[in-house]
Amino acid sequence: MIPETHSMVLTTDYRVPDPSRVWPLLQRRRDGLAALGAHHVFVYTSTVDPERVLVTLALQTREPVVELLRSRAFFEWFDAVGVEDLPAVFAGELIERFDFVDDPGAPGIVVAGVMCVEDPGTFRRHVRDTRDLFLKAGIRRVRMFEAFDDPDEIMFLHELADEDSARRWLQRPDVTAEWFSDAGVGAYPPLFIGRLAHMMRIES
Amino acid sequence: MYVCLCLGVTSDTIGRAVAAGATTSKQVADACGAGSECGRCRRTVRAIIAATESDRHQPPRQP
Repeated sequence: MIPETHSMVLTTDYRVPDPSRVWPLLQRRRDGLAALGAHHVFVYTSTVDPERVLVTLALQTREPVVELLRSRAFFEWFDAVGVEDLPAVFAGELIERFDFVDDPGAPGIVVAGVMCVEDPGTFRRHVRDTRDLFLKAGIRRVRMFEAFDDPDEIMFLHELADEDSARRWLQRPDVTAEWFSDAGVGAYPPLFIGRLAHMMRIES
Repeated sequence: MYVCLCLGVTSDTIGRAVAAGATTSKQVADACGAGSECGRCRRTVRAIIAATESDRHQPPRQP
């Protein structure tokens, strides 16, 4: 039996001495990315930590996620950019997307993190019911991804128009309590605040 | 999240090993394999141990 392909995102968030090396390295490995099933690559650079990057691969693949992660390609990328201690990798699928603007223009500020919720279904309904909250706060786009290995684990991306909107969003106690309280705890990386720096589309 | 890429061990599995009594990265490796191959995930394993320890010392939440 041939396993069906499935969509997934793999996201890593790490610090490197020179983030400008990450993008050329991914470009040079375009064929290797295609072989893994990647169809889009997104690289975000932090606006608050000059050594931090967040890389998301969107894939369509038949491979189980553990086989992808143990492939030599991953270890070689980390080696090439100078990552010694490997970061935890989020693997999951898109479960919710809100687009509040048709043409956002220049990349806004992205706030990204991973969180654990007690009841994912209830949380998703709550987010849908309160989507006006995002619009009023200047949020352009929201993405939520559910982890394959733990249905209670959610990665989120909130894109805001500018740094002022992001600052106000980050200072709201209700938002912090609901979305950011797991940031930097255990395997979860600290909250990522940055901009989309590069995007690559890979034809299959 | 996948912590040990060599063996595909997740943070949830490591958390359960720590909850069951593992207090060092070596004990975690013995319990679930995480960090037993290349060893490059041990920093994250130690962060999970520290977070669990910190949780244990928190006062119980009020209902």
